[in-house]
Amino acid sequence: MPDTVAPKPGRHREASLYHALHGAGAGLAGREGLSPEAIREAARLVFEASELPVWRRSGFWTTSLQELDLDDLEARAHAPGALPESVRAGLPERGGPGAGLAGRIVQVDGSVVHVELDPRLAERGVVLSSLEDALRDDERAREHFSKRLTYDRHKLEAANAAFWTGGAYLYVPPGVAVAEPFEIVYAIEGAGVAQYGRSLVVGDRASDFRVHEHNLAGSFEGQSLHAGAFECYLHEGARCRLAQVQDWSGGEVYDVSTRFVGVGRDAYCHWLPSLLGGRLVRQHLELAVSEPGGDMAFRGLFFSEGEEHLDAFAVDLHETGPSGGDVHWRGAATGASRSSFEGLIQIDPGARQTHTYLQIHTMMLSPKARLDAIPSVLVSADDVSASHGGTVGELDESAIFYMQSRGLDRASAVRLLVEGFFEPVLTELRDEPLEDLVRAKLAAKLAHAREDIEAYATTR
Amino acid sequence: MADLEIRDLHVRTEDREILRGVDLDVSRGELHALMGPNGSGKSTLANTLLGHPAYEITAGTITFKGEDITESEPHERAKAGLFLAFQYPVSIPGVSVANFLRMAINAKREQPIGVKEFGGQLERAVQLLDVDRAFTSRHLNDGFSGGEKKRAEILQMAMLAPDIAILDETDSGLDIDALRTVAEGVRKLYEEQGLGALIITHYQRILHYIEPQFVHVMMDGRIVLEGGVELVERLEREGYDQIRQEVGAGA
Repeated sequence: MPDTVAPKPGRHREASLYHALHGAGAGLAGREGLSPEAIREAARLVFEASELPVWRRSGFWTTSLQELDLDDLEARAHAPGALPESVRAGLPERGGPGAGLAGRIVQVDGSVVHVELDPRLAERGVVLSSLEDALRDDERAREHFSKRLTYDRHKLEAANAAFWTGGAYLYVPPGVAVAEPFEIVYAIEGAGVAQYGRSLVVGDRASDFRVHEHNLAGSFEGQSLHAGAFECYLHEGARCRLAQVQDWSGGEVYDVSTRFVGVGRDAYCHWLPSLLGGRLVRQHLELAVSEPGGDMAFRGLFFSEGEEHLDAFAVDLHETGPSGGDVHWRGAATGASRSSFEGLIQIDPGARQTHTYLQIHTMMLSPKARLDAIPSVLVSADDVSASHGGTVGELDESAIFYMQSRGLDRASAVRLLVEGFFEPVLTELRDEPLEDLVRAKLAAKLAHAREDIEAYATTR
Repeated sequence: MADLEIRDLHVRTEDREILRGVDLDVSRGELHALMGPNGSGKSTLANTLLGHPAYEITAGTITFKGEDITESEPHERAKAGLFLAFQYPVSIPGVSVANFLRMAINAKREQPIGVKEFGGQLERAVQLLDVDRAFTSRHLNDGFSGGEKKRAEILQMAMLAPDIAILDETDSGLDIDALRTVAEGVRKLYEEQGLGALIITHYQRILHYIEPQFVHVMMDGRIVLEGGVELVERLEREGYDQIRQEVGAGA
């Protein structure tokens, strides 16, 4: 395990990566065998003893939460009821459970307000409930809870582990294949909210299912926070397509979240987060192949605008071999936004015959935007292949002229180019309503940034 | 009055002046050839006609169907009925040929074109130009061979039905078969749509397959000689040097 491979002295960068990966303190609560309740207690202590985190990378990049007034935020409770209209408007059009949707669970601010599950799936043993409920009497949920999540990397991680409410739990039994997606929705309704979201997804042996997580917020003035923890464990032979559409809209929502997906023996996960909005979004995303024969496709897209700040740290972790992995992210930035994607392929000792590839492609769409695309590789095993590449590009003016010469105005040409840029990843969502939703959000961002994009052409 | 009138056109890039007073008339139903040695300004003229931002017009005018388009945006010129078949067509990754064509057609229309109508037009164009139907679902110019790129240009031309098409060294880098297909395509559009074409070429190969009525020779940013198809034969025999001496170009 990584703990035994100490960072070499003088290799500052590796050391900081390990630090980020494995936490400052003892952490790794699951291994310590702490009960869910004990984790809350331990996390509370860490929360009280810590300052708000700052992430730095080699002096070029800083993500700081100093502007967040944590004391002014609270977990707001709501009564359960029908699906709120404001939430429904932000989701793709689908039928109800059994007709386009397998199930849906919705948390608004601090409470789970709505759960629905196709009764035929319930009969087959599928469980979809709030995580609070599940931890009360579901042994399997208690067993998996926080297995690979830490609570002590930083203050907000501790806050989540100490104060989370509501939450979502999905369990798919052995051999159950579900074509329609399960929707997990976190919505923030107004300012002054601290939403500590906690999701646990367990795919038992040879299960086959899809999960779409939606993060959305209304437009409001004032700060709110989503500090989320998401974990997904796929047992032997399980297959899962995980998509996440995060759009906290144009307000002042901070999102600092950790996600872990563990791929078991001969299991497969296709993971595609779309990070599309939030004042400051810091995501630690870890996709780990923990057992031989595991395979994964880690995709993602992001698009920052205005004054947004996005910091995504994605890890493709191979703990044993043979295993495969394929990371492909695409991102763009307009306005005066700053986006950073750091993608790490980590191949641990013993993960022989691991073959991975990582590519990150980005596009700058305005003179004041900042984009960092950093692929890196940490290999500690033999007989592996791990290659990577990153590009930071701009709009191809010759392509724009070409399209204009066919009668398309500049804005249409830019839209086509940007859509074409994201298309290779976007089409892997393999779900038309979701693809349409993401395309619509991309188009809206381009429309907002039209002046910037025009200005950019004339400065080059 | 010609459909496309170029009067005393002077064009410069950041570094230097490239066009030094070009006069040229092209109308629908006419086939023109523009030839000249490398660096004479042929591509600059082609790109300037569509309003490429890298080229600055310092004097002169371009008039199209009676309207002064000297200052117009590239997409406005296209909508008015001008088309440029690029020497190096650009790849637009993620956009299929068919979708791109539909968007370009819709740019000129009040109402978006219906699915059936578009399908029908596309089918006819594909037949006319003897192109493989599967071509249209590939991403525009992405991974296309040189010949495929040029075919895609002609397919776009067929679908967009411009009044005047400028073909910028369409024959460069093509093998005989591709060349013939492209030339045939242009000829069919000329015959069936009354297309006017300005065929820019360096080596004249394409002119064996589609015979121009008017031939212009460009040197050092000006048109120095004009004539009929016999000029093509002359250039093949003598090359450009003889003509350069005759007209005292470069002075």
